[in-house]
Amino acid sequence: MSAVSQAPTLVSARPRRPSRTQSLRTLAGRRLALTARTPRELVVPLLTPVLFALVIAPALKTALHTSAAYESYVAIGTVGLLIPLNAFFLGLGVIVDRESGAQRELLAAPVPRGLLVLGNLVVALAITGLQIATLVGFAVARRIHFAVHGAHVLWFVAAVVLLTVSMYGAAETLAARIPRQEEYIARIPAIAIAPWFLAGSLFSITAMPVGLTWIARFLPLTHALALMRYGLNGDSTGLHAIWRMGHADDMAALSLLVLAGFALLLIRVAIRVFSRSATA
Amino acid sequence: MIEVDHLTKVYPGGVEAVRGISFTVEPGEVFGLLGPNGAGKSTTIGMLTTTVMPTSGSARLAGHDVATDPLAARSVSSVVFQEPVVDRPLTGRRNLELHASLWRTPRPRLAELAIAFGLEDLLDRPVESYSGGQRRRLEIARALLSEPEVLFLDEPTVGLDPRIRHELLDVIAGLRNRGNLTLLLTTHYLDEAEQLCDRVAIIHRGEIVALDTPAALRASLGDEIVELRVDGDGEHVLTRMREHGVADATAFAVGSTVTVPLVDRGAAITLAEIEVLELPVMGVSTRRPTLDDVYLRLTGGRLAEAA
Repeated sequence: MSAVSQAPTLVSARPRRPSRTQSLRTLAGRRLALTARTPRELVVPLLTPVLFALVIAPALKTALHTSAAYESYVAIGTVGLLIPLNAFFLGLGVIVDRESGAQRELLAAPVPRGLLVLGNLVVALAITGLQIATLVGFAVARRIHFAVHGAHVLWFVAAVVLLTVSMYGAAETLAARIPRQEEYIARIPAIAIAPWFLAGSLFSITAMPVGLTWIARFLPLTHALALMRYGLNGDSTGLHAIWRMGHADDMAALSLLVLAGFALLLIRVAIRVFSRSATA
Repeated sequence: MIEVDHLTKVYPGGVEAVRGISFTVEPGEVFGLLGPNGAGKSTTIGMLTTTVMPTSGSARLAGHDVATDPLAARSVSSVVFQEPVVDRPLTGRRNLELHASLWRTPRPRLAELAIAFGLEDLLDRPVESYSGGQRRRLEIARALLSEPEVLFLDEPTVGLDPRIRHELLDVIAGLRNRGNLTLLLTTHYLDEAEQLCDRVAIIHRGEIVALDTPAALRASLGDEIVELRVDGDGEHVLTRMREHGVADATAFAVGSTVTVPLVDRGAAITLAEIEVLELPVMGVSTRRPTLDDVYLRLTGGRLAEAA
């Protein structure tokens, strides 16, 4: 060959610095392209929630002789399992970037470091949306009924978005601190799954001992699930269990505020930890 | 174009990778950091590309401080890292497009570089199917996409077979003749430094121990050197030679090899004086000094062995 031929002429014109929107779009496009080539990141988080919605919820309903609403209760509860699982599996991409060396190229690019995290977050939100649509679609196909009341569905959407931001922030932070994939995966059950059992996914938090009920009130997942049930099923019992107030919309607003606080805090921490650890 | 002032990096745990180095690189110059693995070359590149945070000191690229204005510093520079940094599952084209988009480079340049680097037939294959040399070419082409004012090449030919290595050296040599690109490359290959660099800084244990043109560095050892292979400790033999005025301060010994630069005397006279001393010499040779000799005298270790 000469496979490497003549070096190109270099002109002196300076490239303009890219806009943040363009950079964010590019970074999200890259992450999406890589994720699409890793089916595990798309399919694995969906398996358990779909199993819950299609098999376990109906079985529990039969075994416990509960009402038809229990299936929808658990179906929404499974969203609370899907989002953390999905976020933490997507967090693996950060470690893969680091191990493969690709992260160094991104760090050398003329874009703010925070955009590297936010680009990944955009993809986490998009994939979460797709997976929740799939999950709800499966549930509806299984004849599980949701009582949607107009604009109330926005509480559900807001809760999904904010919980995803929170969980992805936690996932990025963990990925920045954990050196290897194996160690990261080993921590997923404790961080992404254990809170699910305390947060009112399968039963009300008031059914637990008082101490655990109080712990549940401080979990973002508890607020997210209560909001989701209020938004998608008109069920405010989860909000009552947290706040013990009279007006459902007030309680929903408070839970939304708590969730927004968690989301903001966790994503800011993620950006800070990533920026520091990547250039230590 | 590159100004480095007392740049220092201490990693967590107290490892001093770079110890207060200072140098400047003029626009259009090809500057080499020469030293073995672990000398601090890659850490220096890391700090200049803002991927490693300096502990103290400062550095500027085209006037932009890497610590206080990192975005501007990154926008005028590109880097080819020592390790592969491409997204292997993606195609070569997608990798180039991503870089072009992040640096906001016109797409036509992508095609131009693909042809120049012989990549046009590879572009639509996933990078994971590339050979090491093909991947390296892609990385260099990608770094040039943004028309950088400063290009960093961190051990650009490590791990390549000799043919591809020499082809890449030709390309790098070609870059210096075109445009006003400033190149800073690190290497532990002497021939690369001699062939490519206008000036070379020899870096040893995080410090710059010599900085000059390759010719000037070699000239510091004169036009010729005498190399003795002795039976026993070279230092002992060197001491006796110095006592009798056969060797001066520029001479050095490593193991059983004694190297005597001939700065202001001829080889014949020196060899005759050595013979008179009846030293335990097993072999004698004369040759022209190399950068390896310069490195050896400054650091007490042979570059190829240290690398």
